[in-house]
Amino acid sequence: MSIPPFLASLLQLLFDLAVPAAMCTMVMAGLALREESGMNFEVGGGFQRWILWTVILLTLPQFLAWFAAQGINLPPQSGAVASPWLTSMETTVTAFISEVIVARLVPVLAAFFVLKATLDAAQGVSPLGSIVAAIFLLSISGTVSLMQGFNSGTTLATTDMLASLWNYLAGTILPEAAGLAVVGAIIAYAQRRPFARLVFTALAFLSVFGLWKLVEAMVG
Amino acid sequence: MFLNGILNLTNWAANVIMPTLAGLLLASAVYRFSKAQSYSHLSYAGFAALMCSGLLRLLETFAQQAGAGDPDRYWISILTLVNWVGNVMLPLYGVMQVVMMVLHFAGLLERMTIGEAWVRNAVSAMACFGLSGILRLAEFWIQNGTAGVR
Repeated sequence: MSIPPFLASLLQLLFDLAVPAAMCTMVMAGLALREESGMNFEVGGGFQRWILWTVILLTLPQFLAWFAAQGINLPPQSGAVASPWLTSMETTVTAFISEVIVARLVPVLAAFFVLKATLDAAQGVSPLGSIVAAIFLLSISGTVSLMQGFNSGTTLATTDMLASLWNYLAGTILPEAAGLAVVGAIIAYAQRRPFARLVFTALAFLSVFGLWKLVEAMVG
Repeated sequence: MFLNGILNLTNWAANVIMPTLAGLLLASAVYRFSKAQSYSHLSYAGFAALMCSGLLRLLETFAQQAGAGDPDRYWISILTLVNWVGNVMLPLYGVMQVVMMVLHFAGLLERMTIGEAWVRNAVSAMACFGLSGILRLAEFWIQNGTAGVR
């Protein structure tokens, strides 16, 4: 049985909106990151869930292709929305996300996080969490582009993208964070607060791959 | 991109803010010294604030003693840290203790206590008038140190 053209167009519309939706889930991930302290995330918390949804949305065709490869009958992606009404709706939604949410709303949210950082510092709380969340929000477009580059195009692209994200985090971001840990250790030392944990944390940030291999070796 | 943001934040904190705060830390050290209070941690922190990049390079060197995927990488990095503390820092600290021994033997440090404070006050005054010079001297030592021991 063939799918009615309107439903096929509607389906294609949803596929086409996957990347703009991924932008929205990244915004939600940025907000959840700050909610979960900004420098850490809760296991099973909002940040983790929104990042997972972002990955799923960015790899949706490959994700569905895996089910198709198992014999489940899925409607083909036509490639273009045939209905002019749906086309205008797609254009409007895409423009709203890029011109309103990403270009204007997200910088304002990041600015509020910077404000929050100054207020946190005034209360004697570390401002770093809000600053990291602000940087995360301001770099959403670049991060989504980076994640699209991680798409292997295979039916296992979703897990491949998660693995690439882990490699990027462990091999690129955490060595930079080691520098922040050193700065934090010096500030803690000057304030006569415990600083050794930050030194060992910096070493751990520089050795995450090794720690992963160590845990793997422990499991055998 | 997120990486650029974190990288620039780290560079700003370590290479702009911390060297600036070094002056404040050394000023606090001079003030505490003038009051005959413990000042050593503030002076060490002042030096460390000037050496953020160097300290990170040091930790990177510790971590790079084993390959990136080596299960023993963390252990070897901690082992290298312990070796460095034992074989580099402790001998330096020992030299400082010998100097302190001579100063104590000469009776100089006794004159810097609350009971007889004129030497301490004189040194504090000199440090107050010459803090900028002390900071430049510390920077000179650190810049020279980047070339290694010659």
